[in-house]
Amino acid sequence: MSEEGARWRIAADPDTVQRDLSRLVLTIVELVRQLVERQCVRRMDAGNLTDEQVEALGVTLMRLEEAMGDLCERFELTPADLNLDLGPLGTLLPTE
Amino acid sequence: MSDTGTYLYAVARDEVAACPPGVADADVRTIVRGGLVAYVSSVPMERFGEEPLRRSLEDMDWLAGTARAHHRVVDAVAAATATAPVRLVTVYDGDEQVSDLLERRAGDFAEVLAQVTGRREWGVKAFVDPASEERPDERSGRDGCEQAGKPGKPGTAYLQRRRANLRGREQNRRQALARAEHIHAALATVAVASRRHRPQDPRLSGRADWMLLNGAYLVDEGRVAEFAGLAEELGGGGIEVTVTGPWAPYSFTVMETR
Repeated sequence: MSEEGARWRIAADPDTVQRDLSRLVLTIVELVRQLVERQCVRRMDAGNLTDEQVEALGVTLMRLEEAMGDLCERFELTPADLNLDLGPLGTLLPTE
Repeated sequence: MSDTGTYLYAVARDEVAACPPGVADADVRTIVRGGLVAYVSSVPMERFGEEPLRRSLEDMDWLAGTARAHHRVVDAVAAATATAPVRLVTVYDGDEQVSDLLERRAGDFAEVLAQVTGRREWGVKAFVDPASEERPDERSGRDGCEQAGKPGKPGTAYLQRRRANLRGREQNRRQALARAEHIHAALATVAVASRRHRPQDPRLSGRADWMLLNGAYLVDEGRVAEFAGLAEELGGGGIEVTVTGPWAPYSFTVMETR
């Protein structure tokens, strides 16, 4: 637990602070992206989106996923790095 | 209040010849009353009194050592005779109180001992094999290929692929839970009594796999082979079933001794 805790502490070292902050920001962005994706799937199933809306949302989400991939690569992060361990609540993002 | 208390491990009908040392390395004694035998040892109240215990229970190393000693005594007694284990760190002010307990609760102890006579507890855990969880992704991959055939609709295809993926995972989860119900029901027919414990946290079980079932089964000594065979048969198809035991009947004898 202490090791895990240390991993999530942001060290005020100029070399690492950028990467740690990026990781935190990307984690939050990825969480929101996945929530929106699920909501889109739900609304698509409910049938209250037009074909054009589905297509537009799909393209947006797909591009966001690609952008996330690029950003992770740039900061040398893997999807697992973005998955905060919330202890008894499990992990922030669903594990693949 | 005196300086030493009486720590109670288990209650049985017979005296067992050799018993390993108990908590704090103390010798284990017996208190006999009305055909019941209580296995106890003396413990210092400065460590086992109500107030110090509250602090001691937060000390994981102390707790682990105490639990090991407790189970060592209970297991030794249970291996030799029908035994009702008592909850960890049950401490009385003195032998008198334990003697009173044997007399006061004689009926309850007799009932519990009758239920576990000639039977042992076996633990069965079922895990989802992580390799099998990848299947829904493959399936959604195929769906994705079909959808990709629609020209000019990449966004729609992407969302449909995601939908198939999310549904596949949910479906897998439901199937796995149904399997756990089935495994438990099948094992319960061979056991005299059964109980489902809460599945363990991966940190406790030491495995990252999802634990579907954490069951305890009280099995007649004559049906152990049948039980083990059935447990083995119920595994497979992405579900791993492990059997542990025999244990002292911890899951079937917990009675409030106060």
